Amino acid sequence: MSGPGIPNYLDYKWRRRGLDHDRFPHRNLPQAKPIVWPGKARVALWVAVHVGHFPMDMPRTPFVAPGGVDRPYPSYWDYTQRDYGNRIGIYRLMRALDARSLRATALLSSAVAARYPALVREIAASRWEVAAAGFDMGKLHHGGLAEAEERALVKEAVGTLRGAFATPIRGWHSPAHSESMRTLDLVAEAGLDWVADWINDDMPYPVTTSAGPLTAMPLAWDLSDQRLLFQQHMDTAELVEQVLRAFATLYAEAARSGSGRILTLTITPWLMGQPHRIRALGGLLDRILDHAGVWPATGAEIVDAWRAGG
Amino acid sequence: MLAEPGHYDYAPYTGRPRIVWPGGARIAVWLAPNIEHYELEPPDNPRKTPWPRPVPDILNYSHRDYGNRTGFWRMADVMAKHGVRGSVSLNVAVCDHFPEIIERCCALGWELFSHGTYNTRYFYDLTEDQQRALIADSRETIRRASGQSLDGWLTPAITNDETTQHVLAEEGIKYTLDMVHDDQPMPVKVRNGRLISVPYSLEVNDVPLFQNRNTPVERYTAMVKAQFDQLYAEGAENGTVMCLPLHPYLIGQPQRIAALDAALAHIVAHDGVWLATGREIAAWYTEHYYEKVSGWLASGTPGGRR
Repeated sequence: MSGPGIPNYLDYKWRRRGLDHDRFPHRNLPQAKPIVWPGKARVALWVAVHVGHFPMDMPRTPFVAPGGVDRPYPSYWDYTQRDYGNRIGIYRLMRALDARSLRATALLSSAVAARYPALVREIAASRWEVAAAGFDMGKLHHGGLAEAEERALVKEAVGTLRGAFATPIRGWHSPAHSESMRTLDLVAEAGLDWVADWINDDMPYPVTTSAGPLTAMPLAWDLSDQRLLFQQHMDTAELVEQVLRAFATLYAEAARSGSGRILTLTITPWLMGQPHRIRALGGLLDRILDHAGVWPATGAEIVDAWRAGG
Repeated sequence: MLAEPGHYDYAPYTGRPRIVWPGGARIAVWLAPNIEHYELEPPDNPRKTPWPRPVPDILNYSHRDYGNRTGFWRMADVMAKHGVRGSVSLNVAVCDHFPEIIERCCALGWELFSHGTYNTRYFYDLTEDQQRALIADSRETIRRASGQSLDGWLTPAITNDETTQHVLAEEGIKYTLDMVHDDQPMPVKVRNGRLISVPYSLEVNDVPLFQNRNTPVERYTAMVKAQFDQLYAEGAENGTVMCLPLHPYLIGQPQRIAALDAALAHIVAHDGVWLATGREIAAWYTEHYYEKVSGWLASGTPGGRR
């Protein structure tokens, strides 16, 4: 039987050249402006660490953030497993990175900074870059959020980190890679200059906002430990295999195209910071760093080099 | 509601008229890159919600967008390296949004067929007139962008309605991919005209494998090889079809592209493989086997082992 029909279903408001929004133009990677990294490195290695706080009473709407509490309240299981990351796992990550003279970018819930001043001191001492990652993993930015409420959330998150750290806070990551239509405007309004939410590219690109431009950074999601280890139940060896494969592709592509590439290692203290995984992380880093032409850098350093390269 | 599609009769995988592909090939292998655009703010459909998160679902939107910005170019290079053409399952609005992608497909000699307008515009609940209008749009858009005729069809997100196959045949579509009931093309029973099904795959398909079944990357290559090896062996008795559907937002990721490279190297190293397009497979089958197989079906599928 023929269907009843849906009125106006064949109207295409945005059918035109380019994308169906005005945040940034479409770009084909082979046509992206070639970038030369410092030291003519082929691949920038960006270690981005999700340092999130998952409150035990986190709301289940409009959706539960990946890695979020999904067991009945009160889930000590979920809460303490994630809190372990901020008590133990992150210190293991710091040691593994320090041993290789690597500095990460912490994508930090402001609630972590407010709750754990000792961790703030350690992150500062490690000379990691700190980027704002919202208030906590329960306060999502999404289309149903009122503008005033969202503006206050961004302001609070950025303000807390600016009060806690002497180094500049320049980057933003929305909890669970979730935004409203105006999140990027509010992020720029708060004086930030790079953002890592959209997962459509391997290289940075400029984004337009009502409060000036931002640089979008490629935070890996399909290759992150949350995706592979937690959501997809893969083992650590598979994560290592996939990261090395990605590195090999990007390393070869950089040589072929004459443009630097970025390998983003997106990791989470309560996952990669577990005792049974930390050596695999060290081994993975060593295998990458064994190659000539790898430039370990923070998000802001990559943003600056990318902008200067143009 | 129907209890079955009603587009085909039971046909055992034995006693079938023997298919031989051009040049005596035993297997027709075709690659179907799905080149898609998922809208940031799609309209509602009563039977399927486009995004798992509230609009704007920028995570899932941008994941799909990766395919057009980044993954497509890598995937196309690997296919070209092995001399394997694609038959593009195309959301035809991509011709308007990203014409450079279509130019690259045409330069590589790929077929374009329709996968609807956008992958967020489903066929569920549409009237036949609405379906016809969508098909006409696809036909005109593909002709304008490439000069090609619209011969093949895969309903966006496989959301066809009960009448869709009939409408496709009446609109002059030659082959449909909406059914995965066979490893050979088959006549499709429609109320008017002539339509065949060509095998697609929901098995060696990167979306179910990487998005739903959490497949390790090396396992992907092993599965594609195993699929090929079996259909290649069976093809010595009766020609088979292997379809490898691709989605550049998944297979074009840097951690996965070498898995495609390895799978294609395995396939092209064999003799007796016809590297074809969907259109070529449909045309060969329709010319040489449509009547023969229809007759075999009409006479009660004789000739099995009994």
